[in-house]
Amino acid sequence: MSPPRIRLPLIAMLVGAAGTLAAGAAARRWLDAVEVRGSSMAPTLLPGDRLLVESSTYARRIPRLGELVLAPDPRQPARELVKRVAAIDAAAGTLELRGDAARASTDSRVFGTVPIAAVRWRVLARYWPLPRLHR
Amino acid sequence: MLTLRSLLRPSRRVHAHCDIPCGIYDPEQARIEAESCLRIIEKHDASDDTLFRNRCIHVKEERAELVKHHLDVLWHDYFKPEHLQKYPDLHDTFWKATKQASKVKQSLDTAAATELLSMIDTIDDMWKATGGLEKTRVNGRPS
Repeated sequence: MSPPRIRLPLIAMLVGAAGTLAAGAAARRWLDAVEVRGSSMAPTLLPGDRLLVESSTYARRIPRLGELVLAPDPRQPARELVKRVAAIDAAAGTLELRGDAARASTDSRVFGTVPIAAVRWRVLARYWPLPRLHR
Repeated sequence: MLTLRSLLRPSRRVHAHCDIPCGIYDPEQARIEAESCLRIIEKHDASDDTLFRNRCIHVKEERAELVKHHLDVLWHDYFKPEHLQKYPDLHDTFWKATKQASKVKQSLDTAAATELLSMIDTIDDMWKATGGLEKTRVNGRPS
């Protein structure tokens, strides 16, 4: 009678995994986790840091000064950047982004402003290596 | 809990990006010193003044040392691993160019100095192909 004893947990695991994937996929629409590469946000963020990001805030309002955001690199949209909002021109619908490590950052000083509409994700917190809240 | 765990797995990488160490390195620095080496050797050869010739040797050795310094900095601070993928002979090119700079330091050979210039130009091509020019030189600089 060994086959059922193997099969039942297997089915339970598959169902559980499917449920997890579905919940994860739904959640990632408004809450997601990303990993930082590069050092232009040092010392706030370092390469390898993991961040919780959320997209519900900018569905309601535009970004605010000082917030950490994800934005496509205007020169290479497939590359998603993490930078700080340094200036906002609400009338023009654009943001200026800056890296915290100003001398080691490629940001709006190089690629110009970024459309507010292109900025969907706000950095909520760094959960790895140490939990620390950002505003 | 499973959901939380899966949520905390990063879905993608985001870039705290900096183009090449920040547009502050330029092969022109090495080239200027290498040009100086060549001209000093020419002045040395054209002079009969022992003191002047000795000074030429002294200054030329200083300049050749500066070539090595500028090339070294460019090598380890400007070029990144992704550039090595694009130019697999990057390390070899720098090794040979810095060796050539040593040769110029040790000798009074104009051919060696000319060869050094052409090696620096090869490095300059790689620098330009990786966007160094746009990121480094400030608008309005005389060409």
